[in-house]
This record gives sequence, C-alpha cells and structure tokens, in this order.
Amino acid sequence: MGPIKIDPARAFEEALTTQRKLAVALQTLRDVDDVHFGVTDKEEVYREDKLVVYRFKGERPPSAKVPILIVYALVNRPYVVDLQDDRSLVKNLLARGEDVYLIDWGYPDRADRWLTLDDYINGYISRSVDAVAKRIGVKKINLLGICQGGALSLCFAAMHPDKVKNLITMVTPVDFHTPDNMLSNWTRDMDVDLFVDTLGNVPADLMNQCYLMLKPVRLNQQKYIGLVDILDDKVELENFLRMEKWIFDSPDQAGEAFRQFIKDFYQGNKLVKGGLKIGAHEVHLGNITMPVLNVFAEQDHLVPPSASRVLGEHIGTDDYTQIAFRGGHIGIYVSSRAQREVPSAIHDWLAKRAL
Amino acid sequence: MGESPNPDWMNQWQALARQYTNAWQDASRGAAGAQPSAAAPMEGFEQWSRLFSSGAGGQGETIERLIDSTKRYATYMQSLLAVATANAQGSNVPWGNAFAQGFAGSGGGTPLFEHPAARAWREMAGQGGNGFASFMGALRAPPNADLGELKAWLNLPAFGSARQHQEHYQKMAVVTVEYQEQMSRYNALMLKASQRGFELFEGKLAEREQPGRQIESLRALYDLWVDAAEEGYAEVALSAEFREVYGALVNAQMRVRAQVQQGVEHIGSELGMPTRSELDSIGERLQALRREVRERGNGAGDGLADEVARLREEFAAIKAGAKGTPQGAGGATKAKTETEPQRKVGSAKKHAPRTRAVPTAAPAPEKVQAPKKAQVPKKAQALKKAQASKKRARTEKGASKATVKHGTQRATVAPVKVARAPRKVQAKNVSGAGNFASRIAKFAKASLGASRARAHRPEERARPSKSGKAR
Repeated sequence: MGPIKIDPARAFEEALTTQRKLAVALQTLRDVDDVHFGVTDKEEVYREDKLVVYRFKGERPPSAKVPILIVYALVNRPYVVDLQDDRSLVKNLLARGEDVYLIDWGYPDRADRWLTLDDYINGYISRSVDAVAKRIGVKKINLLGICQGGALSLCFAAMHPDKVKNLITMVTPVDFHTPDNMLSNWTRDMDVDLFVDTLGNVPADLMNQCYLMLKPVRLNQQKYIGLVDILDDKVELENFLRMEKWIFDSPDQAGEAFRQFIKDFYQGNKLVKGGLKIGAHEVHLGNITMPVLNVFAEQDHLVPPSASRVLGEHIGTDDYTQIAFRGGHIGIYVSSRAQREVPSAIHDWLAKRAL
Repeated sequence: MGESPNPDWMNQWQALARQYTNAWQDASRGAAGAQPSAAAPMEGFEQWSRLFSSGAGGQGETIERLIDSTKRYATYMQSLLAVATANAQGSNVPWGNAFAQGFAGSGGGTPLFEHPAARAWREMAGQGGNGFASFMGALRAPPNADLGELKAWLNLPAFGSARQHQEHYQKMAVVTVEYQEQMSRYNALMLKASQRGFELFEGKLAEREQPGRQIESLRALYDLWVDAAEEGYAEVALSAEFREVYGALVNAQMRVRAQVQQGVEHIGSELGMPTRSELDSIGERLQALRREVRERGNGAGDGLADEVARLREEFAAIKAGAKGTPQGAGGATKAKTETEPQRKVGSAKKHAPRTRAVPTAAPAPEKVQAPKKAQVPKKAQALKKAQASKKRARTEKGASKATVKHGTQRATVAPVKVARAPRKVQAKNVSGAGNFASRIAKFAKASLGASRARAHRPEERARPSKSGKAR
C-alpha cells in the first residue's frame, strides 16, 4: 500500500471543479465592491504632522476610568484592530466598557525621512499620551502596544513610567536574537547604513516582499489556491479581500527610525542586552514597574513566541501576566477565537488593576 | 502507489479537458466579447485574466496573484495527470514518480514550482525603484561570462579629462557584476532549499503509507508538498550561511542602486535641477530645527529651564535684599532698590529702561512697573503685553504645538509672539546689573528665537492664531 491513493476519475473531477469555480469567480469578483474597513465610529482628538489620535465611540459611555491608548507598529496600518464588524478588537473592548484611543501614524513621505525613534517615542507617543491624559483629566493612562508598537511602548514606559498606569504588549518582540527569528537572521549582516543612505525612506513594497519571503510558498501561492475554494461565496471573498488589502496597505518607513530600529533592536538586541539610548534617555526595562500584561501568539511567524515570552525576565515590575494565544501574528486580532479571548483577557486584567 | 478503479479514465480525461477548455472560452467570450481562439489548454485562463488587466473592479493586485497561483496549480494538476498516465502500467499509477518528475521539470524543462523566494528577489529589485528591474536586466553580464576576469578589467585605472566619468561607469559595471555574483549564491541556496523540501516531502509521504493516512486528492498532495517546501526553506533561511549570503545580496543591490543614483544626481545637477542629496540635506536641517524648537517650546531644553530657574532664584534674592535695605518709602523706592547697582555708574533715569527690560524674560514684579509706567507709558505697555504673552506661554507649554480636543470643543493655542520692543532695550543693558542682566538678556534672546522659529513651522501656519477656531 503506497502513500498516495488518488482515484484518477476523482482527480479529474477535482481539476474540473477548480476550473469551474474560477469561472464562477469571474462574475463574483466583478460584483465585489472595493472593500472598506474601520467599522467603529471615532473622533479625532489630537493631530500632529501626519499623526492622528482617535477616540473610538462605543454604543454606551465607557465604564473604565483610565483610557487605553493603542500604539500600533509603524510597518502596517493600525485599522486591523477594527477591521470589520465581527473582527474588531476595538469594538470588543468598547463593549466591555473600555475607553479606547489609537495612534494612527499616517503614511510617512520624504519629508519624514529624518524622523528618529526619539521623535517617535519621546515626541509623538509622549505628546499623544499627554493629550489623552489631559482630555480625561488623569495623570497616567493604559498603553497597549502591538508588535513593533509594543517595543516602542516598552521604551516609552521605561523612560516615562510616571505616565503609564498599566502596560499591555501584544505580539511584541523583546529578545531579537532567538534562533527561530527569521527576520533577525536576515538583518544581522545587512549594512543598514548603506541601506538607508541609499533608499532614504524604506519603500513599503520592499518591506512587503520581505514579509512574504518568511513563508514564500504559503504566502505567495498556497493562499491564493485556497482562495479558489471561497470564490463563489461573496461574504467570505470580501473578508479575504479586506485582509488582503490591509496586508499590502503598508506605509513607507522613515529612514532614520528604521536605521536605529534595525541597528539597536535587530542587530544589537539592546532592549535586553542594555545600552539602548533613545534621544537623551537610556532605556532600562528594569524601570518598567507598572503592571504588565504580555500577550503573544504561539504560531507567530513574524515575532516568534520565544522573542516575546522573555519579557518578564527583564522588567522591574512584580505584577507581570503572560498569555499565550493559540494562533498566528494576524489571527490574534482577526480570528474568531481572538474575538472571544483577547478582549476579555485584556479587560479582565485591567479591571483587577483599576483601583 | 495508488490504484485506479477505472483503467479507461484516459479517454475521460481527454473529454473533460476539451470540456473545460470550451467552458472557459465560452465564459470569457460572454464576459468580454472576445473572439474564440485556438484551443490551447490555458487559453481560457489567459482570456479570463485579461479581463482584469484594464482595472476591472478594485481588486486588481489580488486577482493578479490569484491568476498567477491558480495557473501554476492548474499546470501542476495537468502535468501530474499527464505524467502519471504516460507511465501507467495497467491500473497502477506511479503518482510519486509523476510528482518527482513534475517537481524537477521533466526532461530538463521548467519545474512546476519555481521557488517563490527566488522569484520574489528578482521582483524586489524593482520595488521602490521604478524601472530598476529592467535596468538590472540590461546591465546583466552575458551568460557563462568569467565574472572574475571581467571585474579585473573593470578595475583598470582611468585616465584623462573624462577620468571621473569613466571611473563612475567602471564602478557601475563592477557593482553590477558583484550583484550578479551574490544573486547566484542566493539562487544556489534557494535550490538547496527546494531540494531539502523535496527530501522532507518524501519523508512525509513515507509517513502516510498506513491506511487512513493516505493522500486521496491532488490538493492534499499539493498541500503536503507546501508543508515540506516551507520546512526546507525555513531550515536554510535560519542558517548562518543564509544570513551571510542574504546580507551580501542586500548590500550588493544597495551598491548598485547607490551608483545609479549617483549618475542620476550628476545628470540632474548638469541640467540645473534640484537633486535628491540637496533635498535630503534641507530635510535634515528642517527636522533638526523642528526638534530644537519643540524642545524649547516644551521646556524640555534642560539648559534653558535651569537657566530660568536660576534667574528666578537670583531675582527673588535681589528682591528680598531690596526689602531689607532702608531706601525710603513707596513703590518708587523699590524700583530704585532694584536698579541700585546701576546707579553707581550712572543716573537712575538713564538706567530706567533697563529695569523694565528685565521682566520680559523673568517673572515681573508688578510693583516695579507702576511708577515707571508713568514716566514712559508706551514702553511700559509693550512690556506688560510681553509679560502677559510669556505667562500664557508658560501655562500652556506643549499644547501650543498641537490641537487638543476637549469634548466637542477644540482649543487651539496660537504661537506666542513675544513683543520685540523690549529686545532693543536689552541690547543697551550691558552694565550695572552685570552678570544678572546679561543672563536675562541671553534668556530673552533665546526665547525670541524660539518663538520666531515656531511661527515658521509649516503645520502652524495653517492654524488660525486669533480666532482659536478649528482648522
């Protein structure tokens, strides 16, 4: 008995079905409108350069006294946290009574090429935090850093612990030199000075290609063959297209900030090794003394769990909680499991520390 | 290997192939009004894909990816079936051999699945640099060229008046050759990843020999191959060798790009056009200036804040000293007390304006102003305005950079402009109070500089400074 037991007639039927579905797709794809995202009503509360801080409006007033400010990564657009009605971290947090704000970094262009990490962290994030705190009339707010935004939030919390009441990190890299970190392996021998001096800002297309090469067959090919299965389902197709649009809707990276992030984080691993300096401040994770919740994804191909789960060893707080989510880097915001588990976990953790 | 329950299926395959080719062509003609073409197996597919090339719908890029992937998948299915049937012996279909032949490219032909990572790198050469990919193609050295020998020739010294140009083009050729060398190393690793993937695939197949775990569809076979291919790739991509090769490839590509940019800069400069270096230089200075202005505005400039604190202390000490000295009675006496040191070298009247200049930079004692106002009313009014402006600036520091919404109202704070008149007064104020006065003057000058710089910030120009209404 061999491992392959394919009935030829069935194989032909399979081939024919695939072709038939593609033919149906001709009509379906023509009927599908351009997809939209960002389902929750929001208002602008702060603006500076290309950055905008939004406050999301829930169906009822928030019960939480301390707001959450979401600091998303610079490398993707933040609306993935509010992608669609049934896939929205924001909506689920609001439903539980949280008061949710979000930093939208905008799309950097050549005018932003000289923005440094100091400008981002001690500038933009700091002033956004101040604006939200002032609006509510509190001294400290809760910070929710996601992915690279989590690393930036860790730096901010370490430099300005007086401004952060509780810190939540999601799929956040902390130790950049774990052996299963593919991106880290690739960047270690890169001459990042030559790279940034040549490119100026780092083009989004180039970043996207880099991410696709983390799993080249699955992300460039298998995913689209799987799409054939849902081509005759308009709703599923729209969900796919919405996610697809988000994946490739990436901003260029401000050159100087990129240079420092690669050098100090990916190459130097200074967040855990020490010696990280942002502007005039030295960053010591030991200064993070507020309660910290760290949520990471067990099947994360971008930020391996090993890169995240060491956070507790490096920070100074006695109140550290860690949650391992069964899913991937993107599934942690958009999967149905994530909708059930992640907002509840965040809300419950915050509620215990509300006093 | 799997068994066929129907040895006559080859005829059915021919019929089905014709059937779906016709169906494709009909669908395409119906949708786009296209003319029927020769019955090539993929013709329907091609026609279908052309429907989207004119931007039909908003999903152009996704559709391109879909078409590309499904074409490959359809080819995989067809090739697999064709190879399997050609080698079928009775009811036994050698699927494993068929897959292996298709994977490697039967008869030395193109493999069914080129490793996407290798393809991605070729495409990446064009990302973010319009036309760069075609440029790289044009510069490619001939196949089988001795790149080492070529590089040696390209490194010959240049002579004559056009030496610099010749050196540029020689370097361009050298970096291009180096890029090709690195690309070859990278492709060799991708081949290694593919081979490793196939080894793993064979291992995975061997694990599925037991009944219940066997592969029963072309799709399952494909999915198994994908798992193996990704595992093989990951092994290579996480290795130290890959790290070195990848880094060298990125660096080599950047050197080519930099050399191209240098050429473009030269041409732009010759034509009197602004170059990227010039724009970058301006951008860098602008960002540095913005940072400095913001720091000062936020009071984050530690030196300046310390200076203000020291001045305040000194001022308070002087005031306290004045109160303790018997100089007569009334407000006029207090003013005199403050200007006491100047009186040693000149008259009180002569130094009166200097005394008024002090409060522009430091907290202003109102009692000092009152008698002076009567003597020089216009300047004193200007002084009072300046004091009020400075007070506002201190209270609302930070908020002056941005717009903050409070509920439904948006409070916009206009950039504070300090009155210029007192600045002239400061210039004269160089003696008498000595160190104290000169430090006051230094501070005021710095503050004025900051205010002016802030007024030139682009985002603040768009902000109404008087009405305080939203932008």
